[in-house]
Amino acid sequence: MMSSAAMAKRAAPVLACIGLLAVWQVASLALKNDSFPTAIEAIRAVPSILGDKESLINILASLRRMAMGFGAAVLFSIPLGLLMGRNAAVAAFFNPLLMVIYPVPKAALMPIIMLWLGVGDLTKTLVIFLGVSLPVIYHSFQGAKAVQEKMLWSGAAMGLSPLQRLVRIVLPAALPEILTGCRTGLVLALITMITSEMIARQSGAGNILFNALDMGQYDTVFAMIIIVGAMGICLDAIFERVRAKLVRWSEPQFDIPLSFS
Amino acid sequence: MAVPARSSEWVRPVARQEPASAIIEIDRVSQVFQTSARKDHVALSDISLTIEEGAFVSILGPSGCGKSTLLYIVGGFVSPTSGAAKMKGRAITGPGPDRGPVFQEFALFPWKTVLGNVMYGPRQQGIRTAEAEAQSRALIEMVGLKGYENFYPKELSGGMKQRVALARTLAYHPEVLLMDEPFGALDAHTRTRLQNDLLNIWERDRKTVLFVTHSVDEAVFLSDKVVMMSKSPGRIRQVIDIDLPRPRRRNELLLDPRYQKYVVDIERMFDESDEAGPDL
Repeated sequence: MMSSAAMAKRAAPVLACIGLLAVWQVASLALKNDSFPTAIEAIRAVPSILGDKESLINILASLRRMAMGFGAAVLFSIPLGLLMGRNAAVAAFFNPLLMVIYPVPKAALMPIIMLWLGVGDLTKTLVIFLGVSLPVIYHSFQGAKAVQEKMLWSGAAMGLSPLQRLVRIVLPAALPEILTGCRTGLVLALITMITSEMIARQSGAGNILFNALDMGQYDTVFAMIIIVGAMGICLDAIFERVRAKLVRWSEPQFDIPLSFS
Repeated sequence: MAVPARSSEWVRPVARQEPASAIIEIDRVSQVFQTSARKDHVALSDISLTIEEGAFVSILGPSGCGKSTLLYIVGGFVSPTSGAAKMKGRAITGPGPDRGPVFQEFALFPWKTVLGNVMYGPRQQGIRTAEAEAQSRALIEMVGLKGYENFYPKELSGGMKQRVALARTLAYHPEVLLMDEPFGALDAHTRTRLQNDLLNIWERDRKTVLFVTHSVDEAVFLSDKVVMMSKSPGRIRQVIDIDLPRPRRRNELLLDPRYQKYVVDIERMFDESDEAGPDL
């Protein structure tokens, strides 16, 4: 039996969704604008997009690029962030560089990257990679810096080499913080994925959306927004489940329930 | 040592050399820290000390006297500015499993269970999992945590965490235990219980212990020898042999005039100096 408080907690995100759709429906009916279909019209267009082979291939291509960009960024950023957190020289070298890159919108770099690498998968994956890297580096850095010195000393006394200490003490100790960065990175991956497809319109979910907009198929536009949004929510919920499993040992922190899991 | 060591299944029998041979020698060690204002802070000044094998030695002094720094130098975690520390005649250049630390902050691995923490050292030394687990379970029982093997550190109280930390260090059989105010973060009741249990464990195999504390009672109760330090700069004031019978029982000892005299004498010595004594 779930307590009523737990049930309310579970139902809250669903209620929020229904509420949002209801407001949309009422607003659309009130405004009577061609470019603003009702929620029901938009939802009705979703199955036809997902049933269309061409669209499905596009969406899967988007997801593939996102997975590759995200995966590469995580594999690159975690070791770099951990090294920066434990080694002052590495931090001193990379910190100014990252400070300069951080506020630059990664999509703004796309024209140059397109010029060099073309408009294909490589360019879009690279932009996703850039978007994801920074929060993951930053959080890995913070996590590694916060590792208790005495914990490392305890490991050293057991005979762990500096590299072993980095992999077997700093990495797990910083994992809660690293995964916080990865979660931010995951949402950014979705954002940069759509953005990159808006700029280099060749394939992908962003391409479907903007083609529909060009052709005035507003129900498809809004249906795509629903699909992309749902993708984001699902990915985040899956990630949150994995994260909670991986760090169930950690002290509970301030946890804003920002997910559907 | 007059009392022969009793070996037991969790203690790897240590080949005992002739009694009272030096295991740690600290030779004119000084430690200077550069503070921000280009001023040097002399944490330790010209410390020389010999610690005999099997002895329980406390380093007692007010906070800021460098007593923990001295322990870190013996541990190899910190290099002295000048002078040298030796373990069995060899210069200490870094940490090693022959010197096992127990810190006030516990420093447990929070992602490992109690059993995982205790097994960490033996596994690192290449002992087979089954064997390491059996040894670790025995140690966990010895420190009074049977039934808590699969708990994570966050689920334990401070006293229990420190018991795990002690078991984790004992598990890789260090020849010297380096205890850095291990009971400093615990409440009075838990502290007393852990002192008693530490003595019981220690009296079984008489490992060499270097124990840093700022509590006079604790130092006298536990030690064979109390090294009194003063601060600014950190120096050894006096080394006092505590000639009280073992095994020591707290309830007997507290009534023993010899114990009381040690405590009062040491407190008086700290009071007589200009500086604030320990515990103040």
